[in-house]
Amino acid sequence: MIPKGTAVLKILRSTQPHALIKRIDATPALSLPGVDAVLTAKDVPGENQIGYALPDQPFLNNVKVHYIGDPIAIVVARDESTAQDALDSIIVDYESLPAVFDVDDAIAPGAPLIHESENIAVKTIIRKGDAPKGFKKAKVIVEDTYWSPYQEHMYLEPDVAYAYPEGNHKVTIIASGQSPHLAREKVAIVLGWRLNDIKIVIPFTGGGFGKKDDTAPLCCAYAAFAAVKTGKPVALIYERPEILTATPKRFPARFKYKSGADKNGKLTAIEVDITLEVGAYSNRSPFWLWRQTAHAAGPYEVHNCWIDGRAVYTNKVYGGSFRGFGNLALHFAVEQQMDKLANELGIDPIEFRLKNCLRVGSKTTCDQLLDHSVGIDKCIEGVKNASGWVNKRKSVWNGTKVTGWGIGCGYHGNSTSRSTPDFAGANLIMNQDGTFHYRTGICEIGQGSPFGHVKIIAEIIGAKIDDINIEHPDTDAVVDSHPTHASRGLMMGGTAAADAAIKLRENLVKVAASMLECKPEEIDLRDSKAYIKKKPTQKIPFKDLADEMYARGISPAFHGFYAGPKRFFDPETGLGVNYSCYTFAATVAEVEIDTETGQVQLKKVWPAMDVGKAIDPLMIEGQIQGATSQGQGFALSEYLQVKNGVVLNPSMKDYLAPSAMDTPEYEDAILVEEPYNYSVFGAKGVGEPAIITIVPAICNAIYHATGIRTHELPITPDRFYKLYKEANQQ
Amino acid sequence: MKPLGGFDLIRPRTIAGVLEIMSSLETAQVIAGGTDMIPVFRDIGCKPEHLIELTTVQELNGIFEEKENILIGPTTTHTQLLESNIVKEKLSALWEGCSVLGSVQIRNRGTIGGNICNASPAADTAPGLIVHGTELHIGSLREIKWVPIENFFVGPKITILNPNEIVIGFRIPIPPENSGSAFQRIGRRNGFCLSIVNCATYLERDGQKVNESRIALGSVGPTPMRIVDAEKVIKGKKFDEKMIAEAAAICMETIKPIDDIRGSADYRKDMTAVLVKRTLSTAWRRTGGAF
Repeated sequence: MIPKGTAVLKILRSTQPHALIKRIDATPALSLPGVDAVLTAKDVPGENQIGYALPDQPFLNNVKVHYIGDPIAIVVARDESTAQDALDSIIVDYESLPAVFDVDDAIAPGAPLIHESENIAVKTIIRKGDAPKGFKKAKVIVEDTYWSPYQEHMYLEPDVAYAYPEGNHKVTIIASGQSPHLAREKVAIVLGWRLNDIKIVIPFTGGGFGKKDDTAPLCCAYAAFAAVKTGKPVALIYERPEILTATPKRFPARFKYKSGADKNGKLTAIEVDITLEVGAYSNRSPFWLWRQTAHAAGPYEVHNCWIDGRAVYTNKVYGGSFRGFGNLALHFAVEQQMDKLANELGIDPIEFRLKNCLRVGSKTTCDQLLDHSVGIDKCIEGVKNASGWVNKRKSVWNGTKVTGWGIGCGYHGNSTSRSTPDFAGANLIMNQDGTFHYRTGICEIGQGSPFGHVKIIAEIIGAKIDDINIEHPDTDAVVDSHPTHASRGLMMGGTAAADAAIKLRENLVKVAASMLECKPEEIDLRDSKAYIKKKPTQKIPFKDLADEMYARGISPAFHGFYAGPKRFFDPETGLGVNYSCYTFAATVAEVEIDTETGQVQLKKVWPAMDVGKAIDPLMIEGQIQGATSQGQGFALSEYLQVKNGVVLNPSMKDYLAPSAMDTPEYEDAILVEEPYNYSVFGAKGVGEPAIITIVPAICNAIYHATGIRTHELPITPDRFYKLYKEANQQ
Repeated sequence: MKPLGGFDLIRPRTIAGVLEIMSSLETAQVIAGGTDMIPVFRDIGCKPEHLIELTTVQELNGIFEEKENILIGPTTTHTQLLESNIVKEKLSALWEGCSVLGSVQIRNRGTIGGNICNASPAADTAPGLIVHGTELHIGSLREIKWVPIENFFVGPKITILNPNEIVIGFRIPIPPENSGSAFQRIGRRNGFCLSIVNCATYLERDGQKVNESRIALGSVGPTPMRIVDAEKVIKGKKFDEKMIAEAAAICMETIKPIDDIRGSADYRKDMTAVLVKRTLSTAWRRTGGAF
């Protein structure tokens, strides 16, 4: 529901993939009744440059457009129809420039420049050990190229932002999102205002999967800009085709892999060449590419790793944050390489992985020593036993259908990449009636992380969960807690919550001990009451305790703050401590393929994850099943078709995420608990690993069933039928 | 996608009322479930002035058995068809087409008349209706006529309907005891999607021989199509693998599939053969024939 009197905002977007803007004529639009404003880059009071990592992305384009969907102007009008009419009447004169739609074309000599300098946005490198020497020790070497495509997030709730000006120098924006403080920063940049002039509130959000980390700050900035300029409340709601055409996707990538193993089945070396397609703007690509580079060996110990990566611009829709953040595509390649090596060596794929997987004392691709919290071996053993792997080593035929089983493993560094400092805050307030307010900067986007924080708080202060209310993230009420992304919501936000809870607990215990006339160490807090441990009949309800704390002037409210351990890395060699902890996962998948039609069905999934500590096992199951579905879609049906920069299927009708009817049977997840030393109760993030492991598990199961390797996704019926037909004609 | 503008919604109670409005209001368009029309309006930014709601006309809804025929009103929803024992027992190919069409929500709102008049080459009810020898009752204020359904489609989203005409009903002969029909399709996922290819077949059996046969395919040409040449190959012959393969081959030659975002022409061609074989086998079993 949009409140009455709210103006509607729509964005005029480029219809050209690469062109100079010669003229923008808004006069016809401004003459329409009901049009409040047409705003372009010239009207932006602050900075028009909003690039995330590199300064290559204008807020509104008035010089040049870089892809079909690039924002040029915004229209503010009394209703949607008027805004649409206004959009349709604005005249933009373009001078077309040659466009580039392919990464190889983009880096070829003489390619048209998409931005001011070369079409490579960023490069990465790792030189660990001596790869050529490592390959000399190898008995088998496998080389292959893998293509990972775009993926749309396809959250059900579209991007929405509602902004209203208050007085002459304050604006509040209520938006669907997952990064309130980043949104505040972008609004401040665009308006040229200070952070405390802007308030962002993020209510329950209907899915983000990473994209709203990128889109919500921009939506907030468009809405705030329009509200401040017109002095009216303004609402912005993206249309589904607009979301599919113009907003960031999973970055496409190409991996060229060379992997070697010796006669004992030990990995000796890898050489990896990564080309990331960033599209029109680099956005998060430096971090994405770095994550792929830093995880390039997979969850295995390889002493010789040479890795080179580059992120390349094209005139297509740009990439951005997405669950799995680079690691999904990477493990799609790594895990098929592992299967191929095992196959060449004649070793069972699971035994081969167990010989090589990271353990305490191992070093990662970046030479980071893992001294604790490494549970990949237990994950692999777990799915091996649960799935009855040893009895499933032969594919099974039934008429035209064949069933096979495959494994996919993975690991995912929690929190931000490239050693960027990471922190989160939390506030915990006890009311006089013994109830609590909990304020966090971590958003509820369907994953349940803030509820996990509350379970942590309840455990520490002995409160009933129902007595704690979670407030929607509000930048005026809580310190910058960084975005709800990178599997960090519970690990970082929950640890900040614990910090506040521990502080409050001290005061609760102190006052309770004085009221019950015992020592503080004799106090037990549970069920929202304070007890004497040895005399549980003597108790005080939190209500009375709170009253007493307020009366005595002992603080009933605390702020919590947590920063992750310091990390470092050397950009010359790529070596260092990149992530302070890793979540590990393994998945066995059963697929059934109709060889007459090429249709691949994911029938059953056995998941395992090393979660450090399971704060809420049911929510972990939720994350595993949701991520598995999303990975299944990426592997089998989600196919964003882009031709000459045009998205050909910008609708739910033609871009097919899996439906309920495609959902496989799930075995209960095996939760391995190898606690992490620096987070509350040892918890690690769980939102992403399952999407990483299911994709190669499906690919390896397809190979097991049919002997066919899939180097390009998605494996649509059409594509697989062709592969199968070609393989069987030979 | 464009905003849907305001329009007048006219809700007549009788067929005569509908036809009168259609002949007097030039810009009037009929609408039933709206599951195809509303998205089209929004996709192309079309601003309808007058919409005539058909679902308020009681005589246009329902499934009836009458002497040799089954009569179906055009505003009968797919869910109504799925819940009908007459359809389930006697018109298997139509029932199976309805069962995979769209989603539960679309089947609850969408109507058989809408699915046919929308004239999508991929319409999942079309092949079943074709093989069951359906005739459409078409009416305007001036004229009432019966048209075999395979003559109804002209091209993608185009039918023989004149601006002042509507489909009043469907008439389907009650199939004899020795008959059977089947529908199958290939989609890109298990539900909620448009068919890459769909196919229905109908057989009547005399001992081990095929007495009568009809084959229809969707999404392999500009309209749903009946493949008469393939039917001829089957008629009067013993039902076996060889004859199935022959029929499938003729279907592959006759169709005119294209490459589009849902599938390639080559894939459609090969899947046509698969579906023709699979539906013929099922239909034959349903006639009581052994195979």
